[in-house]
Amino acid sequence: MALPGPTAAERFFNGILPENPVYRQLLGMCPTLAVTGAVKPAMTMAAATAFVLISANGIISLIRGLLRPHLRILVFTLTIAAFVTIADRALQAYMYQMSKELGPYVPLIIVNCLIISRCEICASKQNLGVALADAVGMSLGFGLALASIATVREILGSGTWFGLPVMPSGWPNWGIMVLPPGAFLTLGLLLAVAEWIGLRRQEKGTET
Amino acid sequence: MDTAITLIQIALGAALINNFVLHYFVGICPFLGVSRRVDTAFGMGCAVTFVISIAALLSWVFTYFILRPAAPVPTWVWRVCGGDPRTTVDLSVLSYVMYIFVIASSVQFVELYVRKFFPYLYKSFGVFLPLITTNCAILFACLEIMKRLQDPDRLWGLHEALTLAVGGGLGFTIAIVLMAGIREELDMCDVPKPLVGAGIGLITAGILAMAFMGFTGVDKGIENAINLLLR
Amino acid sequence: MSKAPRKGGYVSQAWLVIVLALLYGGALAGVQTTLGPRIAENKKSETYDVIPHLVEGAARAKTTERTVTGAVDGKPHPVYRAVTGDGTLCGWALPATGLGFADRIDLLIGLCADASTITGIYVLEQKETPGLGNLIGTDEFRGQFAGKRADEPIQVVTAGPVAGNEIRALTGATISCDSVADIVNATVENLREPIRQLGAQEPLEPNDVPRGRGG
Repeated sequence: MALPGPTAAERFFNGILPENPVYRQLLGMCPTLAVTGAVKPAMTMAAATAFVLISANGIISLIRGLLRPHLRILVFTLTIAAFVTIADRALQAYMYQMSKELGPYVPLIIVNCLIISRCEICASKQNLGVALADAVGMSLGFGLALASIATVREILGSGTWFGLPVMPSGWPNWGIMVLPPGAFLTLGLLLAVAEWIGLRRQEKGTET
Repeated sequence: MDTAITLIQIALGAALINNFVLHYFVGICPFLGVSRRVDTAFGMGCAVTFVISIAALLSWVFTYFILRPAAPVPTWVWRVCGGDPRTTVDLSVLSYVMYIFVIASSVQFVELYVRKFFPYLYKSFGVFLPLITTNCAILFACLEIMKRLQDPDRLWGLHEALTLAVGGGLGFTIAIVLMAGIREELDMCDVPKPLVGAGIGLITAGILAMAFMGFTGVDKGIENAINLLLR
Repeated sequence: MSKAPRKGGYVSQAWLVIVLALLYGGALAGVQTTLGPRIAENKKSETYDVIPHLVEGAARAKTTERTVTGAVDGKPHPVYRAVTGDGTLCGWALPATGLGFADRIDLLIGLCADASTITGIYVLEQKETPGLGNLIGTDEFRGQFAGKRADEPIQVVTAGPVAGNEIRALTGATISCDSVADIVNATVENLREPIRQLGAQEPLEPNDVPRGRGG
């Protein structure tokens, strides 16, 4: 390891905005689209993903000295699958209705590219502190992205936010927003907004 | 006859009505990443359909005999080891770990087999095979099959599981090929700058998903039509 | 699993995987033993909690599961026998399933003690269109089923007043409403007679032990 790699603070802040997993890296699109019909399931999903990501990053970072290059993906997958099972069981035991609503998307965290890519890029190369900071930062970034999409979809689609009515009583609910097409359209437009802000920043940077 | 209707409904449901990509959002990564040209998209679709069928076969066998609640193999082992015959054995907590291993090893196996015996096929879609391990569509199919094996009153047979898998794979192929066709045209369009790439891809997918919503209710209609004909 | 050591050299390479697999296996077993009973209880409650709302006077703790053979399809079906606090049979709850407009609809149908009247229905699971078909779960729609006769099929009408065994469809969701009525009719026709016989056979069973499933 010639390069020391980014520090814990850099990793942490990178995860939230500059390398946001959804808007910048386009990782973990499947839950991003599937569970963002309302804010509550989206936040539960973000919490479950954060639990798995932090635990997996921590474990992988602790055992990074013992990893064999050709077996590392196997170890990552095994670790992630074990923690996903724990998260899934806990949801079923303590939030049964929510776990039914999320359905297959909780076990699908196993194949969320976000987690395996963080294990590969950060946890298998750096120490525990950096790996945990990275995992927390990425989880916050993922949570923010999910929250933004879910907010747009829930307010337009159901006139509520976190289950509380926010729109005037005559609001005609845009049913399409809580259906699959609404997910694609919302994410597409929000991505464009993120890109537009990025482009504006670049232009300003070149002018001055 | 009932079986035939059920199978038609499962296949139609997975391929068109509740399309894996456009309704369940599984396999989005290759859908947005690989679908640049129609022929590569078709190759990817074939590879996924192939692997999904094999993974579904294996996961059905594992789930039916070992992982479902009160499955025969662990129950038998429990009895032989002198366990209380009134308690049921449930190994479903191991399902997710098992599925991911089944998928990873079936991808490896398919890659070896295809390279050895069908070099031509390997040339056309072999490059996609390693990518498929992390394709959520395959794990999703395994999970759907698992869900249907949890309820002892409505157990799915192997034929139903395989129909779901092949239907889902076909649905993935249809979606990704359609998307690639549209993208080839989009390359010649003047897309607003912030939308270039994933943005316009997602919006196109949204419009495709709206079109696919038109299939809703077709399975019910087919059931009614067949019942009317039989009457 | 797929990484079982075949040669001596593999053990030295794969020991980490094996140790991890054992560790995780232990952790999962622990999770299953602590949370398993709770999950099983949650799954059971889902159905059992609804029954007192469907069958008047039913005591949740005394409700038990039975299996009857369908009169039409000849297959075994689970039914729930609802009993009042003092042990008198007061009704039945039948799980029913069928194809709706978008996906399967799972219902629970309440019948009175002699299986002659429907006491209510409850939608356990549905994925109908938001804002239209998913209104089948509202009290306004499902309340129409209470008090209908079980010996003749329920008809769905889209306009005009409802009479006898008719219910009114929701605007814009005729197919969903038809589906619910079809599921109710098919299940009631299939199970009404077997349930009536079962009710006549076992009027009182003070030592009834509830039979849990899927534990």
